[in-house]
Amino acid sequence: MDDGLAYTVIGTSLVVAAFSGLMALLGRPPRLAHLVGLSLVELVMVVYAVLAMGKMFTGERPDAMATFVGYLLTAVLIPPLGALLGWAERTRWGSVIISATCLVVPIMVVRLQQVWGVWDG
Amino acid sequence: MAEPAGTGPGRVLVAVYGFFAIAAGARAGWQLATRFHEAPVAYLLSALAAAIYLVAAVALASRRPAARRVATACCTVELIGVLLVGTISVALPDTFPRATVWSGFGMGYAFVPLVLPVLGLLWLRHTRRPATDSTAASSGGRGHSSEESR
Repeated sequence: MDDGLAYTVIGTSLVVAAFSGLMALLGRPPRLAHLVGLSLVELVMVVYAVLAMGKMFTGERPDAMATFVGYLLTAVLIPPLGALLGWAERTRWGSVIISATCLVVPIMVVRLQQVWGVWDG
Repeated sequence: MAEPAGTGPGRVLVAVYGFFAIAAGARAGWQLATRFHEAPVAYLLSALAAAIYLVAAVALASRRPAARRVATACCTVELIGVLLVGTISVALPDTFPRATVWSGFGMGYAFVPLVLPVLGLLWLRHTRRPATDSTAASSGGRGHSSEESR
């Protein structure tokens, strides 16, 4: 998959993770800004997924497609789940959840890139 | 105050368990559907692990007393599973030709599968303590219940 897009997802996600982690340290519960951040992460992740699906349908396949699709599904589901759980917890721990969510997404993207065969694993 | 296991820091655990249920589940589901014959034991084990993670997540989030026992059971099974499968996968690599969540003590998942059940059990113990451990509460509770039963 396209390197630039992968870096975009990772970068966006890490920024939101840092912001949310900082809010957790300050004892702040999740606010609208957290959700906007997570939405951005989800947006770029969906773009990544759609392009990856498009490539797979046009013949360009990752080395291990089963694993790739599994990770792809997970990566797309994680930000909404993090938003739900984080928003339900109206304490600093809600911010921790959203921060953790945004740390999982980059890991998923790195794994996706490795499974596709573009990044060494 | 007796704190339900699924609030505060406990919800972070619920979230991580949820992620693992989805991650392991999505992977195992797809593998079972497309190439079950290649490594049935490994893929079934991954699916089982995913199911346990899901039950643990729901049980940790629930406020019902029975859920606490379910969560404790899940965490215990996980801990035994990751230790057992981890040891077997290191000692006898041929047993699991395909990696599972628990292979190499969860190495492929940054050892989170090994840490998670320990954190879960610690958290369950921590949240139980205020309800049962406090001398004031227990003596008060005992006196209260014996008075009522008479």
